[in-house]
Amino acid sequence: MRAAVIREQRERHGRRIVAVLPVHYPKPLLTAMNVLAVELWGPPGPPRGVDAGRVQPYVCAIVRNAFAFLASGAASEVDAVLTPHTCDSLQGFATLVSDFSAWPKPLLHFQHPKGEDRQSLRTFLGRELRHLADGLAAVTGRELEPAALSKALALHRRIDDARRFLLTRRRGFAGSDRELYTLLRRGEYLWPADHFRELEAALRTLQAQPTERGIPIMVSGYVCEPMGLFDVLNEAGAFVVADDYAGVGRRIPVETLAPAPDPWDALLAWVLSMPPCPTRAATQTARLEHLWRLYEESGARALLIHTQKFCDPELFDVPAIRQRFAARDVPTLHLEGELELAPSGQASTRLEAFVEMVQARQWGSA
Amino acid sequence: MSVRRLQYEVAGRVVGPAMIALDRWRAQSRRLSPSARPSPFGPPLESTRKLKELMQLHYLQGRYADGAVPVAWVTSGFPVELLRPWGFHVVYPENHGALCASRRLTPELSDVAEAQGYSRDLCGYARGDIGSVLSGRTPVGRLPKPDLLACCTNICQTVLYWYRTLAEHFGVPLVVVDTPYVFGESAPHELAYVEAQLEEVCAAAARVTRRPLPRDALAEALTLGREASALWGRCLATGKHRPSPWTGFDGFVHMAPVVALRGTRACVSYYEHLLLELEDRIARGVGGIKEERHRLLWDNLPIWYRIRDLSTTFAEAGANFVCATYTNAWAESAALIDPAAPFASVARAYTYVILNRDLANRLRVMRELVRDYAVDGLVLHSDRSCKPYSIGQIDLKQKLSAELALPVVMLDADHADPRAYAEEQVGVRAAAFLESLA
Amino acid sequence: MSAIAIGLDVGSTSLKAVAIDARGAVVASVVEPTHPRIEEHTRRVVEALRERLGVTVLPIGATGYGRKRAAADKVLTEITCHARGAFHQLGVLGVLIDIGGQDSKVIRIGEGGSVLDFAMNDKCAAGTGRFLEVILARLHVPLAEVASTAERATRVVPISSTCTVFAESEVVSLVAQGEPLEAILAGLHAALASRVAALAGRLAHGQPLFLSGGVALNRAMVRALAEALGKEPQVVPDPQLVGALGAALAVSSR
Repeated sequence: MRAAVIREQRERHGRRIVAVLPVHYPKPLLTAMNVLAVELWGPPGPPRGVDAGRVQPYVCAIVRNAFAFLASGAASEVDAVLTPHTCDSLQGFATLVSDFSAWPKPLLHFQHPKGEDRQSLRTFLGRELRHLADGLAAVTGRELEPAALSKALALHRRIDDARRFLLTRRRGFAGSDRELYTLLRRGEYLWPADHFRELEAALRTLQAQPTERGIPIMVSGYVCEPMGLFDVLNEAGAFVVADDYAGVGRRIPVETLAPAPDPWDALLAWVLSMPPCPTRAATQTARLEHLWRLYEESGARALLIHTQKFCDPELFDVPAIRQRFAARDVPTLHLEGELELAPSGQASTRLEAFVEMVQARQWGSA
Repeated sequence: MSVRRLQYEVAGRVVGPAMIALDRWRAQSRRLSPSARPSPFGPPLESTRKLKELMQLHYLQGRYADGAVPVAWVTSGFPVELLRPWGFHVVYPENHGALCASRRLTPELSDVAEAQGYSRDLCGYARGDIGSVLSGRTPVGRLPKPDLLACCTNICQTVLYWYRTLAEHFGVPLVVVDTPYVFGESAPHELAYVEAQLEEVCAAAARVTRRPLPRDALAEALTLGREASALWGRCLATGKHRPSPWTGFDGFVHMAPVVALRGTRACVSYYEHLLLELEDRIARGVGGIKEERHRLLWDNLPIWYRIRDLSTTFAEAGANFVCATYTNAWAESAALIDPAAPFASVARAYTYVILNRDLANRLRVMRELVRDYAVDGLVLHSDRSCKPYSIGQIDLKQKLSAELALPVVMLDADHADPRAYAEEQVGVRAAAFLESLA
Repeated sequence: MSAIAIGLDVGSTSLKAVAIDARGAVVASVVEPTHPRIEEHTRRVVEALRERLGVTVLPIGATGYGRKRAAADKVLTEITCHARGAFHQLGVLGVLIDIGGQDSKVIRIGEGGSVLDFAMNDKCAAGTGRFLEVILARLHVPLAEVASTAERATRVVPISSTCTVFAESEVVSLVAQGEPLEAILAGLHAALASRVAALAGRLAHGQPLFLSGGVALNRAMVRALAEALGKEPQVVPDPQLVGALGAALAVSSR
């Protein structure tokens, strides 16, 4: 599926392909430079390939999968790899690739700044964005045109609106959670304009009469793998109405801002408009407030925290999130995955037990 | 002067030294029973006693610090010299964590954190610290509450997640110095970012203490910090001698001041004292271990709760750790600090820390250490709690053993949590490694 | 009184089945090792129960690892069923700790046997009955003698390994070093108890504690848990049948 898209984009449209590691990167910049971003979140499953043993078992599966990807002939598929400075593990991946591997193509970095919004951060971010643009220009052989950046930002704002709308109006979406997330996740590799077309088509199917498909829940986590979890959830009688996945909800601005006239300013504002994420480490207060607001507005009745093993940024926030939600009597389940292929029996049981528990609270019976 | 402030000063100048003198008298009066096995070590360093006193005093004063002087909790890689001018009492949760780990307290502290939902896969220092903060349990009596939290990402990104959790808990400001990772060389805009953040640190300190930056004191703190780092470097360099006058594990213990007291006069005095002792031992041909047959390099943090055991195992086989990338890290910045250009030089010095630089640099540093210290073998501690240090070790092991034709062993453990230490596995690997050296 | 429902707890190691009467009392029960062909096994057990009770059709509730493969009228997780069953037996609110062969659960029970909160240790054998089983097999100690042997210990040899596999090698070297078997067994019980206590953590705070599952039949384990939890847990009557009982109650909508 992705391979076909990549081939078509390269051959038919002459676009360059850049493999991008999670999570946050200035996608409109790549779009403006006619570069297709293909995100590397998986695929899920056990360690594989010659490089499976290159990092210790206590390093998360995202890194291991990325190595497997590179070792599997990625050099012939992509023109470069982009590693945002997301966390220590991805930092380690980036230096292993740049220093100790025979990766023949360019390796670009994006050091998204960390900490609270402050002047030093804004100044740096502005320059880092231009620095990345220079790096991309070396890959494409062409400089970025500001007009193209404005156009790309406009498209991405429409995409953000569509994604936000779909998630907030999820009750009007007839499909299952798996169908919704499959659609949203195609944005990880489709050319943005194509992704937008699919989103628009889905929006047109939204029903005027929303239906409650069971217990509405909010999900917060890193990546929604295995997708089979959604099936378990739906079969057990619950469905997702609010999203705080790093790869989904945390990459949709809470509201779309009026664009600044200068495209670089607009790009900066776009990057800074994303909801709080521990990988960018704004205050915990800001994160907790955002989560609570998201929860309340969505009408959810329970919270599922879905982390992946060894993911430090997510795991550090879990106790504070649990405390905040427990104080407001919200049933919360923390499920930890390992980017496995399918939910284990134990994970399914946990989810089902959780839904049973919430159902009983709501309907007073077991 | 407030009562609290008076207590703080009295603790530091009167009570502390008195308690230490009492301890010293008690120690001298105690008859030490002869040990069953002959020790493979040379005579213990005299300076160790002075070190303990220095750190004890620091922690003792700490008990009276909050309310007396501004208190900052700070990461080990933070440019603490910028806080010294305001007279902050500085707490290093990592140093406290090492203390707890050495006394095998980390599991019970971690249990407190885990009961709150913190995963056991998180950094052992962080779990221990959070557990200590939540329970109030600490081997140092009491840690003062911070007025300011200060973290620098040059050692890892984890400190960011950890410190923002502390900020939420204590309800105090957190100032972050985010140092972009160095691939090759830092770009100008990256160093400019760090510099700008250093100014923000000073602004935050001024806000918290309600006093402007005393500029002269900054120059002095930087000079003292640089001197301490340079002296520490010279202490480490004595390890080049055959035999090394001290052991690698001595090095881990004696680095406490350059980490936790950097920028103070006491820190400089301490290393002057230590250096004198080391040079004296060299002059008298005294080695850290009695029979130095093998000279080793240690990579990554030490295994704090096993320092004595591992040290003994290696020493009995005639092996001494003459250098370590971890201890070496605090000697590297000396050359870069320039009190005349404080923000620019500090930005560079603290960005160019080994853990913030790429693996090509790490390999280079390790090669240089092997060459300069005439190393025969390398031990890489694969620390499950420290990903920035541990990722890449598998490649480093392969490269170093191939390139240098030296034995290299990886030991899987954790720097703070003994529950992640598999006795048999580590024992077998260490034994096999020692056999391959013989 | 005649049976009104059947409850099945299809565990990965053992299958438990109960028939209950209108008061919720157990009138018949079966405990046997689970056969991998779950559909067949459950059908056979239900048939045998029906014959024994002289009934033709009864509603069947199923829980446990293999619950979806039993032909049941109602399927619920063992969390919900254990809470229900324990509440029925004890009649009080509190926290139930169930240590099974392959998983452990801690459940805060609310009014009517509802689930207020729960925690499961399902990734790792070290907090389950499997931990003891594996190592006891290695030591050649028959299960029937475990409790009495452990209780004879005058001291406890701490087992420090987190992982079952590493603990096994640790135990082997302790034996080689001449440590007495009783002390090692006491240490193993203490190790399992401390993991369970860690799982119970925040849930068990200040609550009455109950214990169910096969491991509850091991006196030494109950003692070790009391030590680790700071409070003696009350063993639920017929601790192995709690889940099946809950399933039967659920399907009979009592």
